Amino acid sequence: MESRVNMRLFVVWLILVGITVAYLAIDRAANDHGFATASTAVTVAAICLALVKVRIIMREFMEVRGAPQALCRLTDFWVVLMGVAMLGVYLAGRAIA
Amino acid sequence: MTTTQEPLVVVREQGTRHIPGQPDMWVFVFFESLVFTAYFCVYLYSRTQHERAFLHGQSQLLAWLGVLDTVVLLTSSWTMARCVQHARAGRYAPARRDAFLTAGLGFVFLVLKIVEWVRLIHLGHTFTSSEFFQYYFFLTAIHCVHLLIGFVVLGVLVWKLSASQEIVETCATYWHTVDFFWVLIFALLYVVR
Repeated sequence: MESRVNMRLFVVWLILVGITVAYLAIDRAANDHGFATASTAVTVAAICLALVKVRIIMREFMEVRGAPQALCRLTDFWVVLMGVAMLGVYLAGRAIA
Repeated sequence: MTTTQEPLVVVREQGTRHIPGQPDMWVFVFFESLVFTAYFCVYLYSRTQHERAFLHGQSQLLAWLGVLDTVVLLTSSWTMARCVQHARAGRYAPARRDAFLTAGLGFVFLVLKIVEWVRLIHLGHTFTSSEFFQYYFFLTAIHCVHLLIGFVVLGVLVWKLSASQEIVETCATYWHTVDFFWVLIFALLYVVR
């Protein structure tokens, strides 16, 4: 049981590190011949990946997975709320820029 | 003087669900998340209005250093989660070791951040040099303030390790919150375009 819990935490950490390293690929893809260029796709992908990581941290490291359903739903709602606010403001800002 | 202390292991029934740590800490997590989301929204809006200036400022950052910062802090969250598991099982020696590892990794993060700040200041980028760096220094500094408070929280965790599992979980919740704030700050400062 103990080793299973430790293995699960290790796998979670590995996934989080994997997503973080993947950002380097996104960063390279966003550069046009060494020059950074604005990209809605990169911005949306970066924010969505960050929110996925936040949810994983909450569920696994913060142990929300074993919490009452109300806290599970509330944390999920909060992640969605943060995402909608950030992406909404970003997309609205781009539209009126 | 040594005293023998009975470990206070909270045995929970199989299948029962409980809130990790004190509910008050969760109120703090939700409140702080909203405050940081507001900062992020203002930053993202400003980005869209001054795209070129922000891209130029961002190009001065080292993405790999941001990745390294993130990996260090994620690792500290992992060791913290292990600390909670050990404490719950009454294994206080490995729990204490993981708490110190967490503090050590937090310290490494802090050193990396200071190195990055010094590098940028030497390049002429300060709080007042451009709008991007105003946001950069504000967001990274406010995060570091939370991290410094995290060291005090870790001290409380080590102090109360064998006395209260609820306090251990409360302290862990705070540390993980500092971690996920950085995950968002990293994506917004180093990666978004």
